[in-house]
Amino acid sequence: MTDHALEAVKFIDLTWMNVSFLFIVGFIGGLVSGFIGSGGAFVLTPAMMSLGVPAAVAVASNMCHKFPKAMVGAYKRFKYGQVDLKLGVVMAASATVGVQAGIKIQEMILTKWGEAGSNLYVSLSFVVVLLFVGGYVFYDAWKSSKSEGGDPVPKLARRLQAINLPPMIHFKTANLTISLWFTIPVGFATGLLAATIAVGGFVGVPGMIYVIGASGLISSASELVIAFLMGLGGTVKWAMHGMVDIRLTLIILAGSLLGVQLGAIGTTYVKENMIKVVMGTIMLIVAVSRALAVPQYLTQLGLMSADQTLLSILDMVSFATMCLALAIGAVIIIGGMIKGKRAELAAQMAESYEHV
Amino acid sequence: MAVKSEVKKKKIVIQTIMYGAITAALYAAVFSFANPITELFSRGGFYAALPIATVFVFSFAHGAFTSNLWSVLGIVAITKRPTERPTVSVPRPTQRPRARLRMSA
Repeated sequence: MTDHALEAVKFIDLTWMNVSFLFIVGFIGGLVSGFIGSGGAFVLTPAMMSLGVPAAVAVASNMCHKFPKAMVGAYKRFKYGQVDLKLGVVMAASATVGVQAGIKIQEMILTKWGEAGSNLYVSLSFVVVLLFVGGYVFYDAWKSSKSEGGDPVPKLARRLQAINLPPMIHFKTANLTISLWFTIPVGFATGLLAATIAVGGFVGVPGMIYVIGASGLISSASELVIAFLMGLGGTVKWAMHGMVDIRLTLIILAGSLLGVQLGAIGTTYVKENMIKVVMGTIMLIVAVSRALAVPQYLTQLGLMSADQTLLSILDMVSFATMCLALAIGAVIIIGGMIKGKRAELAAQMAESYEHV
Repeated sequence: MAVKSEVKKKKIVIQTIMYGAITAALYAAVFSFANPITELFSRGGFYAALPIATVFVFSFAHGAFTSNLWSVLGIVAITKRPTERPTVSVPRPTQRPRARLRMSA
């Protein structure tokens, strides 16, 4: 290995401001991840880069914090009976292939259109996928909040579950049986997206809900298993190239382990529908954030012309919107928890009055 | 009953302090030697095992600390009965059960 860290002077000096900023972003990212199974990573990498951390070190250090965070979150939610380990492992296996395909596509784009082309591809993927998937998740959450009958198994999943195409797999915790062939595309797409926008869960969780037919609670918890396995694999690769800044990783981890536990506890306070609300909201806001970054890359590719000042303002607004997405997600989770806690206390009070 | 819950609460507080101390010691150890450790951990190759092993150790100690901390603060999971997902309405059988004649002696 020749790309040793200090040779390239890629590690930044840490100030109390930097440490506090990373800790807080880590906490909020962890909270969202513990609740919806993914998220946080999409803000942490640009957040580190905004402090002057080179992109490769930011990605590597982020990934090195992601897998232990996912492990702790998955363990916590496993204790609540929400994790389908088998579903997580099966999905992670096909996601690994998806990651390789995603890397190949990225390399092809990078060779043909350079860095600006690659950035444009990433941003457009963000916008298109998050707008469609996030929009549908949000619509579904809104629809099921209106209906009284709870959260039924989606129509597509029911149809796929009815097709007997061996090998059929039974997922005990998710309480469903489906052909392996229908889980593969979902896992593959999760990996493909993870290699493109670093948040595979934005496809993985909706895929598990709407294609495989697991509940939102099981899907988001099992996504943590996928994140752990994929994150571990990715970290081994990055660490072998000496790209992990352990200081950054540990600071983020300090905040995110606090957050991920709170997020996991939060899932027991709220209605299951809330997971979809948080996920859909974050996805739609992030889509807007990435759309704001598109003109910059189009200008770099010579496909449009724009004033440099305007582009830098758009870039700042894009980053701020991304942070806002995470913050709004956190506010909804904490708000939901407070509401859930109040309802529980009220129920306890009513019960104690009945006994008097 | 109240005594039992008091003992349990005390045990959680002790565990929180213990894991908190271990976590603080681990962080102090790494950040006291931040530069040499960062240099060593970023050598690549087989040195990759060092950051990975470190985050596992930290997540065990810090994870246990944070879990206990939320419990001490009274933020614990609400145990709810698992709700059955509503299924599609079961189609009615097309054939009626046949009437049986019962003869009692």
